[in-house]
Amino acid sequence: MHEFALFLGCIAPNRYPGCEAAAIKTSEKLGIKLLPLKGASCCPAPGAFGSIDLKVWYAMAARNLCLAEEMGKDIALVCNGCYKSIFEVNHILKHDEKLRNGVNEVLKEIDMEYKGSIDVFHLAELLYDERFCGVRKIRDSVTTPLKGAKIACHYGCHLTKPAKERVFKSKELLNTECPTWFEELVEATGATAVEYRNKMQCCGAGGGVRGYDIVHALDITNEKLINITEVEADAITEVCPFCQLQFDRGQIEIEEKFGDRYGIPVLHYCELLGLAQGMSPQDLALDLHAIDCTPFLEKVL
Amino acid sequence: MAENNQPRIGVFLCHCGTNIAGSLSINDIIEYAKTLPYVVHSDEYQYMCSTPGQGKIVEAIAEHNLTGIVVAACTPSLHEPTFRVATKEGGLNPFRFEMANIREQNSWVHMHGMWDEATSKAKDQVRMAVAKAALLEDLIPKSVPVEPAAMVVGAGVGGIQAALDLASAGIKTYLVERTPTVGGRMSQLDKTFPTLDCSQCILTPKMVDVGRHPNIELLTYHEVESVEGYIGNFEVTLKKKARGVLSPEEGRAIGVDGCNGCGDCAEVCPVIKPNPFEMGMAPRKAIYIYHAQVMPLIFTIDFDSCVKCNLCVDICGTKKAIDLEMKDEFPVYKIGTVILATGFELIPIEEKKEWGYKRYENVIHGLEFERLICASGPTGGHLIRPSDGATPKRVGFVLCAGSRDNAPGIGKPYCSRFCCMYSLKHAHQIMEKIEGVEPYIFYMDIRSFGKMYEEFYYRIQNEGAKFIRGRVANILEDPKTKNLHVFTEDTLLGRPVDIELDLVVLASAVKPNDGADVVRKKFGVSASQDGWMLEAHPKLNPCGTTTAGVFLAGVCQGPKDIPDTVAQAEGAASAASIPIHCGEVELEPYFAICLEDLCAGCGMCTNLCPYSALALTIKNDRMVMEVTEAKCKGCGTCGGFCPGGAIKMQHFTSQQIVAQIDAYLLGGE
Amino acid sequence: MAAKSYDNPELDQKLKDTYYRLGDSNPEFSKNILETSRTLANMCYQCGTCTGSCPSAPRSSYRIRKFMRRNVFGLEDEALTDPDLWLCTTCYSCSDRCPRDIAPTDVIMAMRNMAFKRDIIPKNFLMTVKLIYDSGHGVPNNDANRDARARLGLDRDPPTTHTYTEYMQGIRKIIDSCDLKANADRILGE
Repeated sequence: MHEFALFLGCIAPNRYPGCEAAAIKTSEKLGIKLLPLKGASCCPAPGAFGSIDLKVWYAMAARNLCLAEEMGKDIALVCNGCYKSIFEVNHILKHDEKLRNGVNEVLKEIDMEYKGSIDVFHLAELLYDERFCGVRKIRDSVTTPLKGAKIACHYGCHLTKPAKERVFKSKELLNTECPTWFEELVEATGATAVEYRNKMQCCGAGGGVRGYDIVHALDITNEKLINITEVEADAITEVCPFCQLQFDRGQIEIEEKFGDRYGIPVLHYCELLGLAQGMSPQDLALDLHAIDCTPFLEKVL
Repeated sequence: MAENNQPRIGVFLCHCGTNIAGSLSINDIIEYAKTLPYVVHSDEYQYMCSTPGQGKIVEAIAEHNLTGIVVAACTPSLHEPTFRVATKEGGLNPFRFEMANIREQNSWVHMHGMWDEATSKAKDQVRMAVAKAALLEDLIPKSVPVEPAAMVVGAGVGGIQAALDLASAGIKTYLVERTPTVGGRMSQLDKTFPTLDCSQCILTPKMVDVGRHPNIELLTYHEVESVEGYIGNFEVTLKKKARGVLSPEEGRAIGVDGCNGCGDCAEVCPVIKPNPFEMGMAPRKAIYIYHAQVMPLIFTIDFDSCVKCNLCVDICGTKKAIDLEMKDEFPVYKIGTVILATGFELIPIEEKKEWGYKRYENVIHGLEFERLICASGPTGGHLIRPSDGATPKRVGFVLCAGSRDNAPGIGKPYCSRFCCMYSLKHAHQIMEKIEGVEPYIFYMDIRSFGKMYEEFYYRIQNEGAKFIRGRVANILEDPKTKNLHVFTEDTLLGRPVDIELDLVVLASAVKPNDGADVVRKKFGVSASQDGWMLEAHPKLNPCGTTTAGVFLAGVCQGPKDIPDTVAQAEGAASAASIPIHCGEVELEPYFAICLEDLCAGCGMCTNLCPYSALALTIKNDRMVMEVTEAKCKGCGTCGGFCPGGAIKMQHFTSQQIVAQIDAYLLGGE
Repeated sequence: MAAKSYDNPELDQKLKDTYYRLGDSNPEFSKNILETSRTLANMCYQCGTCTGSCPSAPRSSYRIRKFMRRNVFGLEDEALTDPDLWLCTTCYSCSDRCPRDIAPTDVIMAMRNMAFKRDIIPKNFLMTVKLIYDSGHGVPNNDANRDARARLGLDRDPPTTHTYTEYMQGIRKIIDSCDLKANADRILGE
């Protein structure tokens, strides 16, 4: 069993708790034990916080890293936004002594020290990586294949971009133009992954834009939804609760603002995998989703 | 000539205008030099390399009875020969000269506000040079005869031109080409810019000329296997790849006809493979020629795909040109000089994934376009969309596709230098051939620097080509129509653009040909940072290399278009012919000398020598090492290693080097 | 040339001098951007790959290339007072494709940091700071979600600062180390 400190972030535990529950349960079946990272905070939000003061962003993220260092565990997380903060700050501080010293000066005030002794992984990365899990193992864990479902993968941005600031064992994850690793993960659940136009486009929410100019953000989301509808996808899956929020609640907002109605369920990959491993929609609190998942569930279950 | 046991050194400082004098105190250094041991004269001049400057050296040798000369100026690679000549004119052995580089290694790097530090450093440099000059010895360069033959590796337009020039100058020339025909990239092109000459039409006469020139021996389907020797006396082993087909000459030697190029064999051959000459867009057989104008017109068997069914042998009949059991051979050629002209290939542009090459059928690259627009190409010159064979009405040309690209990955930081112009030409060609076609050229800068190139740009713009100043961000394919959406910003309008096109041509960056690195290393030629072969001097010796007797022509040295390639080829041919016409070359007398009294004959040095210049031999009943002087490059590997100190590196003796180190560590103010 | 004035605000505005003059550039601005962004912001050659990759460009007047140009030219005011500065979704597509190996996104982030120093910042950014200062979470828990967590067999609050509130003091200290909260309150109050 590989053990990791699970960095939760905000939206998974506080808006889509099914995502948190599914991450822990599905991983355990695949030999990955996710332990609570006690006292963790917001990563903090890279768009909002990073826009204001990068120094505080480094220090806040470093505090979260210190908690895992004290546990002696590498971090696993389930959100692209968290990945940007936690992975990137870890990566930057490991390699930039000046910044590290500056951060440690702040952390000294609260009796902490960043050492650079752990690594940070996205759970999706671990699931794809044969050293920890791999696609075949996922396929073997499936008890309720999601046959017949056409799923559109939304990769999101901050897990793999910018590629020059990323270190992945699998080269496939460094392909930010036309990757297929997410589709492989989806097909392991028995579902059919569908390609759609411009699939690597952003959901529109990041960088504080969702809060700054919601219509602008939703217009980007809408473009994606148009492209996804074009290939008749039954659901969208992603590995980022913030993207999930933008696609899920965003569809309600799009209907309000633009009058366009899609009704495409949006599931985190952990939720999708939970279904395929036999978790019930109740176990996943899919009722908390803004978009009704029932038609999709009827199709696959 | 003065005796060396009482050295008398003259020191000369060059101002190099303000290059040196602007950053340090010439006067201080002159005064300082006078205080150094053995220095009996010191002087300075605006430009020591000028005639009056050199005259100062000549006069001072006589006047002060000097035994050694030190010039503190620029780099030895620039002016050491100049000052050696002056030293010699003054009556001294030219190797009694030592140079202190106070420009590249001092004034230029300490230009701003470091006057005192630079002056102090220059004093150190002069002191060290004087210490060595006091210990310099007379050396006599050795002359070796030059084999009156040359080799050209690579038979594209550059190699062809170089071979023709050498041969016409009366030199026996071996033209080596790894493919079955001469012609190279130029023979794949449809037209040339800016004159719009038919590329094949202007190249084929030269191809025919190399085929029949009495001084040229055409060695197609050959590769360089190994190289030994040195300028004047290279021994090059080639790999004569088994062609499976006998040339008429080879046939005559064994009393058969050999190949007459009739093509009956290819007719009956059952194996079909893509023709690399057509960028894989047309088929060829396992026994094949690239195209109708090949030189020599001899078929070749691709033994990797040949099934040895013997149909070709049967149809060839009494000509008996085909030998399915033919094996590679390794003939050795003795040559005096060699020209490398190994050319280029396109980068694997599919690795720039945002442009979709190999993912989207209607994204092609420039060389594929050349074949598709060429009347002798796979479509008879009708440009088509690979997805459906339709004639494209809107065609995009993506410039700087991987050139001027500093991002990690397959891109290249340099300008590939001919893509702007060939893309303009492509735009012209489609407007000429396709009624109502719209060419869209996506560019950052149009680099039309050659003769009549800017005028060509004007002409194409006037013909109606649309220019969008923006580098293409990405391309998306409409899965139904296979049309392409090209995204960029029109940076002049400041608007993002999404242009739907039928076909997109990527002007891919170029890189050294596959295998060029192997050939390069065999001839001891370095590569510059960007991977191209390194010339001896970027301005003053662009055809030479740091290996004497090895010259460069064409794109292997850096991207260049046809006129530049031909010009460099002619330059290289001229340079390569000089040693051959002189008949002998002088080797720098920097070779190692074995001090036989001290040599224990252990032989450890012989394995270390990178040039195979050392061997053990018996002299006076003792095993000692012997140096083949002509092979020794004076690198010092053996001398530095020899446990008994039995190897003397001429002009870089241990005493001379130690004296310099001592002068640095112990001297100074 | 002396500054011209027609003693008529309407005319002064209509005919205002649009020349770029060397004095308009602030080299310190570019230097700060270079340091904060940790990318070769000065190396931009204005190819447009960034704007061409930008999801915000086709639906707004935001042109990331223009911000890159303003950086190279040190046009601080023009960059920091342009509301488009806040339309970058930080998707990093431009950074992935930039042929000069620059991360334009990080240049935008650095500019936003400098804008904040001049109190130029959209309110929603500051709200996030306040939320984190209060609870440790930018998106804090709520009662409906607590009930759902309980149904799933999870603790009503996650094992974060929501449960371990003793960590909040440290978080506030970090945020206060740059007076972030105080500044946020002040700007929101104004």
